[in-house]
Amino acid sequence: MLKKCTCLLLLLCILPIFGCGDQRILEDLGFIQTTSYDMLPNGELSFSVSIPQADPETSAKREVLIATAKSSKEARMIMSRQTGMLLVSGQLRNVLFGISLAENGLHGHLDTLFRDPSISSQVKISVVEGSAGELLIDDYKQHPRTGRYIDMLLEKEALGQTIPKVTLFNFARDFFDQGVDPVAPIIKKHGNNYITTNGIALFRDDRYVTKIEPQDALVFAFLKSKFREGQISIDLTEINGKKENVMFSSLISTRKVKVTRGVQGVEKVTYHVKVTGSVLEYIGDARLNNARERRELEQRISQYISKKGDAMIALMKKHQVDNLGIGTYVRNRVGYEQWKKMNWRQELQKIPVECLFDVHIKDYGKFR
Amino acid sequence: MKEKLSQFHTAILIYMIQTGVYVFSITQVEAKYFGTNGWLITIPVSLLVCLNIYMMYWVYRLGKGQSIFVILEKSIPKFILTPFYLAISTVWALIGCLVAKEYVLIFQMFAFPTTNPMVFKIAIDVLAFILLTKGLYNISKASTVFFWSTIWMSLLLLYYVGEFRIERLTPYIFKDSYSMTEGLFQIYLAYLGYELCLLLIPYTDKKTKLFRAVFYGNLIRTVSYTLSGFVTFGVIGSDMLKVMLFPLLDLLAYIKLPFIERIENLFYGFFLFTTIITLVLYFWAAGESTQRVFPKIKINVHYFFIILVALLISYIPTVLNTIREWLMYLGYIQIGFAYIMPLILILLLLWQRRKKAV
Repeated sequence: MLKKCTCLLLLLCILPIFGCGDQRILEDLGFIQTTSYDMLPNGELSFSVSIPQADPETSAKREVLIATAKSSKEARMIMSRQTGMLLVSGQLRNVLFGISLAENGLHGHLDTLFRDPSISSQVKISVVEGSAGELLIDDYKQHPRTGRYIDMLLEKEALGQTIPKVTLFNFARDFFDQGVDPVAPIIKKHGNNYITTNGIALFRDDRYVTKIEPQDALVFAFLKSKFREGQISIDLTEINGKKENVMFSSLISTRKVKVTRGVQGVEKVTYHVKVTGSVLEYIGDARLNNARERRELEQRISQYISKKGDAMIALMKKHQVDNLGIGTYVRNRVGYEQWKKMNWRQELQKIPVECLFDVHIKDYGKFR
Repeated sequence: MKEKLSQFHTAILIYMIQTGVYVFSITQVEAKYFGTNGWLITIPVSLLVCLNIYMMYWVYRLGKGQSIFVILEKSIPKFILTPFYLAISTVWALIGCLVAKEYVLIFQMFAFPTTNPMVFKIAIDVLAFILLTKGLYNISKASTVFFWSTIWMSLLLLYYVGEFRIERLTPYIFKDSYSMTEGLFQIYLAYLGYELCLLLIPYTDKKTKLFRAVFYGNLIRTVSYTLSGFVTFGVIGSDMLKVMLFPLLDLLAYIKLPFIERIENLFYGFFLFTTIITLVLYFWAAGESTQRVFPKIKINVHYFFIILVALLISYIPTVLNTIREWLMYLGYIQIGFAYIMPLILILLLLWQRRKKAV
C-alpha cells in the first residue's frame, strides 16, 4: 500500500513538470484588449493594438503597438519585436475596422479571428468612421484608457438599442446565413476629446455599403427584433405642421413579419411592430391627460416611425442589401426550390415592404 | 456472491459510453450531410440503435444470461476465436485510446498549443488504469457520479433562449444535403458505445433488466442530442454550422458571466468525465476479450499491456484529422460488430439448442 502511494505521489510530482513548456506568467503577458485594422492609401494594411499595463514599474496605463503588414498575424510578429511582453489574444474584446478597409471586404480578416481558438467568438466588431488606428492610438483625457472606454461605450449604447451589439459570432452568422446581411456599429472620434457611436454600418456580404444615421438607429432596432429598454426623440413638426417634440422612453417593442404570397410569388412583406413606452418630455399643444388627444399623439408617432421605417427599407433596396433579414422570412415562406431559383438581392427591390407601427403611450409621468 | 449491476447504474453507464468526443462536432455533421433541420436525423438513427438493441436482447434471452464468449466457445474452435479475440480487442483498445487523444488534441489547441499532447494523454491513461483496476461495478458507480457532475450542463441550453430564432430552423427538412447515406453512418458513430452491453450480460441478473437499461441509456443520449441539435440549429443556423469544426465549443463560448469571460475552457474540462468513461469501458472490453486468450495472467496486467500498446499505436496519428479518420474506420468496424455479432450469436444459440434437443 505504502509503495503504491509513493509511486502515485512521485507520478503526481513528475507530471506538472511537463506542463512547464507552455507556462504563462501573468506579468510577462501582453493581453491585447483592442485591435484596429486600416487600409492605407497605398493599399497596405496598418494594424495597431492596445494593451493594458499591469506592471507597477511603468507609469503608462497602456501600451500601444503599431505595424504595417500584409496580415494580422504577420503584424503581430512585427509588434512582438517592439515589446518585452509576450503578446496573447485570449482577452481580446474589441476589433475596430477602418471604413476604407470595411469597404474592401472584411472576410479574410474575420476568418483569421474566427479560426484562432485563443480568440473568443464574443469579440465585438465595429467600424470606425475615418482611421481606426488614429482613434485607438489617442488618449482621451477625461475618459478611462481608450480600449476600455470603447468597450464600455459599445456595451452601454447597445443596451439602449442605439447600436446593435455585434460580436464576431453574430457577424459571421449573418454573413453565412441566406437572406440576411451583417451590420456593425459605427464609432467616430471627435478631436482629442471623446468618441461617439455614429449609426449603423450596413454590409453587403462582407463589404460596407452604406450607413443608417444615429437618429434613425432605433427604428432599425424596431424592425430588426424585439427588445426592451431604449428611447427615441421624435420631431413631429413635419407631420403635425406645428412644432411638436416627444421623447418616447422605456420602450418595449415586439415585432411580427408577415409574408403574403400571390400567384407571382411573394406579393408583399409587412412588418407589424408594437411599441409601448412612456412620454416623459413633451413640447406641443396636446394635453397628455386627455385620452383622445393622447391617442391622436400615438397615431402621429406611429405615422412618424412608419415613415422612417419605409425610408430605411427604401435605402436598403437601393443598395441591394438585406440587413433586416427579410430574406429569411421570404425563404421560409416560398418553398425551397423557388428560393434557390430566386436572386434575392434583385427580388428584394421588386417586393413591396410595408411597416405598420402600433404605438402605445403607457404613461406620461407624474404630472397631468 | 458478487454484486450485480443495477438498472439505474447501467442506463447511466451506457449513456456515458455513448458520450465521447463526438458531441463537440455532431451538429456540424448533421448540417453538412443533412442540411436544413439536420438535427432531426438523430431520431431515426436512434430508432436503428433501438432495433439493434432488440437484436442483442434476443441473444440474452436465448442464451439465458450466458456470456457471449461462452456461447462462441461452445461451437467455434479456439484457433479461430483467438485471432478474432485479439483483433476485436485491438479495435476496442484503439477506439478508447483515440477518443482520449482527440479530446487531448482539442484541449491542447485551446489551452496549451505547444505542450506535447502525449503528456496529457499519459495522465489520462493513468487515471483510466486506476479506475479499471477497481472493477466494473465501481466503474459503473463512478460513471453515475460523473454523470451528475456533467448532466447539469444541459441546463445551459436555456441560456440561448434570447438568441434562438425559429426562422433560422427553416421549414425545410434535409434540403442542401450532401451524401446522406454517408451522413447516416457518420451520425451512427455518435451513438456507438451501447454495443458493449453484450459484454455486460454476465455482470447482471434478472433484476438488472439489462436491455431495458440499455434502452433508457440510449434514450437519454437521443434526447440530449436532439435537444442540443434543435438549439444549435436555431442559434447558429445550418449554413454557418457547416463551416464550424466544433460548434458545441463555440456555443459554450457564448456564455459570459459578469465576473469571468472565456468560460468555455472550464466547461470543456467537464467533458473529461464523459470521455474517461468511454475510454475506460473500451479498455475494459478489450481486457474481457484478451482474458479469454490468456486466462492465467492477472487482469490488471492485461489492462496495463492493453493501455501500453494502445498508447504506443496512438503515437502514430498526430494530426486531428488523421485521428478522426482512424476513429471513423474503427467506428465502421464497430458498427459491423454491433450488427453481425448478435446475428452470429443468435444463429449459434439456435443451433446449440437444436443439437441439445436431438
